[in-house]
Amino acid sequence: MSQEANNSEPKLLGLMAQFDDPDSLLAACEKVRKAGYTKTDAYTPFPLHGIDEALGIKPTILPWIVLTLGIIGGFTGLGLQYVTNADWYPFIISAKPVWSLPANIPVIFELVILHAAIAVFIGMLFLNKLPTFSNPLFRVPEFARATDDKFFLTIDATDEKYKPNKTRELLDGLLGQTDVIEVFHDPTPAELPKIIKFVGIGAAVVALIPPILLWRALYQTSTVPRINPIRDMDIQLRGDTQTKSPVFADGRTMRPRIPGTVARGEWVDPIMLTGIVPEAGEQNVLFLQDEVPPAEDEEKPAEEEKPADDQPAEDKPEAEEPADQEPMADAKAAEGDPAEENPVEGEAPAQPEEPEPNWVKIAPINVTNATLERGRNRYNIYCSVCHGLAGDGDGLVSQRALQMEQPTWIPPTNLHTDYLLIQPDGKLYNTITHGIRKMKGYGDQIPAEDRWAIVTYVRALQKTRTGTPEEIPAVEMKELEIKGQ
Amino acid sequence: MATVNEVIDTTIDDPGNRTPLVIGGHDYGSITRLVCGINESKTPIAWYVAMLASLSLLGMLGGLVGYLIFTGVGVWGNNNPVYWGFPIVNFVFWVGIGHAGTLISAILFIFRQNWRTSINRFAEAMTIFAVVCAGLFPGIHIGRVWVFYWLFPLPSLQLSMWPQFRSPLLWDVFAVSTYATVSLIFWYTGMIPDLATLRDRTDNKILRIVYSILSLGWTGSARAWSRYEKAYTLFAALAAPLVLSVHTIVSFDFAVSQLPGWHTTIFPPYFVAGAVFSGFGMVLTLMVPARQLFGLKDVVTIRHLENVCKILLATGTMVGYAYAIEFFIAWYGGNMYEGFAFINRAFGPYWWAYWIMVSCNVISPQLFWFKVCRTTPWLMFTISIFVNIGMWFERFVITVTSLARDFLPSSWGMFEPTWVDYGMLVGSFGLFFTLFLLFVRFGPIVAMAEVKSVMPHPHSPVHDNPQAAADHA
Repeated sequence: MSQEANNSEPKLLGLMAQFDDPDSLLAACEKVRKAGYTKTDAYTPFPLHGIDEALGIKPTILPWIVLTLGIIGGFTGLGLQYVTNADWYPFIISAKPVWSLPANIPVIFELVILHAAIAVFIGMLFLNKLPTFSNPLFRVPEFARATDDKFFLTIDATDEKYKPNKTRELLDGLLGQTDVIEVFHDPTPAELPKIIKFVGIGAAVVALIPPILLWRALYQTSTVPRINPIRDMDIQLRGDTQTKSPVFADGRTMRPRIPGTVARGEWVDPIMLTGIVPEAGEQNVLFLQDEVPPAEDEEKPAEEEKPADDQPAEDKPEAEEPADQEPMADAKAAEGDPAEENPVEGEAPAQPEEPEPNWVKIAPINVTNATLERGRNRYNIYCSVCHGLAGDGDGLVSQRALQMEQPTWIPPTNLHTDYLLIQPDGKLYNTITHGIRKMKGYGDQIPAEDRWAIVTYVRALQKTRTGTPEEIPAVEMKELEIKGQ
Repeated sequence: MATVNEVIDTTIDDPGNRTPLVIGGHDYGSITRLVCGINESKTPIAWYVAMLASLSLLGMLGGLVGYLIFTGVGVWGNNNPVYWGFPIVNFVFWVGIGHAGTLISAILFIFRQNWRTSINRFAEAMTIFAVVCAGLFPGIHIGRVWVFYWLFPLPSLQLSMWPQFRSPLLWDVFAVSTYATVSLIFWYTGMIPDLATLRDRTDNKILRIVYSILSLGWTGSARAWSRYEKAYTLFAALAAPLVLSVHTIVSFDFAVSQLPGWHTTIFPPYFVAGAVFSGFGMVLTLMVPARQLFGLKDVVTIRHLENVCKILLATGTMVGYAYAIEFFIAWYGGNMYEGFAFINRAFGPYWWAYWIMVSCNVISPQLFWFKVCRTTPWLMFTISIFVNIGMWFERFVITVTSLARDFLPSSWGMFEPTWVDYGMLVGSFGLFFTLFLLFVRFGPIVAMAEVKSVMPHPHSPVHDNPQAAADHA
């Protein structure tokens, strides 16, 4: 058997003995192993017990692979749940802790089993070098029965003990052996056809296209609307502003806010919003409703938390005794005009006495030059047309109305009257917000901050008449002196 | 080749002298011919007829699933308060059916019950197909089927949120998908040597390529067998706790809730026993006609059927015990809602379902105390059909009666299945049988390698006369 020398002959890979029954094979394996051969293998249609010892097969390391993967699976389950539920997206269900082990055991258990089972499968195939579709044994016609009812024993030609004639003799002499077959190297070319290579490369390139497109769609901007194959709630029927809705009984598409509710992120201090200090135990939200809540006429200590520390406000704290017992009607009379129903001037309308709310005495904002500047700006825009630039109630609108002798015209209030001088800031603010008599409310047009700014500016205007030279800061005094005033 | 046991007394029940697992004088080659013959013979007309029926049911199922997806889950009878109707009933039913396969392959393997070798392939295939049917129902029950992947912990680009791992419904996702995966690779691993046998026998070129790919180049090398057997043992060791965990976790869906009739600690073992019971019932339903049709009586003997019947008797009695204990604890626990739930099950508006369940599951398997019932195939078949019906009703009773009558009479409501519900239940059988018929036509339905390994070894010619070996060859 010297095929090695002859290149035209196929290369001999080994010898194979065939048996009819498992016991003969076992005995033969024993004999071959004792003869010192190591590169041997047996082929049987079913697992044969005792063949491991007979052939000298070492125990497999598969269990260790499985154990390792099982442990990895356990930690995967633990980590997955901890990271996702306790760290990345923690949420509390029924006041249970964000992380508790017992609730996470089932998933850990399942992942241990899953990892270990996949390790068994892949590990077994890997250790057995499967899948291997090309095997020279498959070219031996008799070998087809190795998966049916025949038993085979092979000795590799590469075995150290292999001697062509001696090995043949050994196999020939085995009991129960029915045939000895030579196994040759497969002479057909081992490469895949070229076309498969090209198809494979082509398929790989084509397979890259979807992920690239996906990546592009996710990270690139685009001027066209994104493709939305499953619309769910992303795109849905909607009611446009100012259209009629068939859904609601009142036909309004734009739903009014439910009284007493505050939208998230829109919480504003009620004092700031209303100019009224809530009574203890009173619900703040009430002030957000449009009607004025019935407030007690108990006097409150002055607001300290707001350091309203500017001249316009300074005189206010002393000027106590707010509108406590003063009926609304009085205020109206003082301002020069009654409501429309009561055209008679100066006459106090016979309205039921309404208790005054607990007005904030000093504007609850930080008053700075910027505030005053803002206040002047807003005042000039919104108020000066009637009340005049200096607050004397002689705005252009008023002058014109008087010129034209409009019968219903009521001259605007002079802001320098005593009544207004002692009015708490909160009430002034409330007047700007809700209006009074002919004056309309400006709450919807002027934000709360600006309304308070206007209040402070009005106080500053008043100060221009009531102030003393001592109150003017020295620096400014100098400036005024320079100007010759 | 030497044959074994020419004259067989199949009635022997003496443990020391048991009936062999393979009768009829078979040798290794004839086993191969017997099993492969099923695939290699001409396709019988009966197969076409059965396939046509199954396919039409499958088509109906497909149509109904499409109708459901395009219309919404309102086409089902699920309502308030019975949110879980037929879909969940069918899910638990099919998952239960699946259990016998893994139980036979894993637990009986660990207990060295060699008789399992004749029926395990069959039962494992049943497991896979039943799990496919089971997976369908929760899949479509989620409503928006197209975002089913939200169930899995996938990195989320748009939502930046993750599944809620403390929910039994999510445990279900992991349990059932792990179960399906492990059962599938267990089943496939077991088939590799048999697929190699089919590969080596077939003359059809296309089939040869298909079987070659599927058998992964298996040669039957002793070194490969050694690792293969170790792998199989490890599979069994992993699958045994898995099979118990799956139905336990399915039972958590119910037991972790607060509903009377569901919130009980007996649910895990009771569900597992019920699952084994229903699974073996289905094994019997399939095996009795199959051994007849495919001439497998020598491999799947009366002894095999009798063993299955004994398991049915045992698990059926366990299920009956669970019914009784539920009642007892409802009374003994003193919880009035619990007590009402059980009285209502037996005597309330769903009394008929309850008594169908009890008579099918508890009473009918008691017939297996009698040997004549354990050895008469048509009788077993009939009882196994009762078991299947009973187990479906068990899931119906558990799911619907508790939801329909919970704590407050003001939140009571009856469940009214629609034609879609019925259609899907029937259609799921179409899916199951379609897959099964394909398998029996193209796959090795008996684990040949394993059966050969439990056959008595032919008398070795080596030890008495070398000449005899030559004669035989």
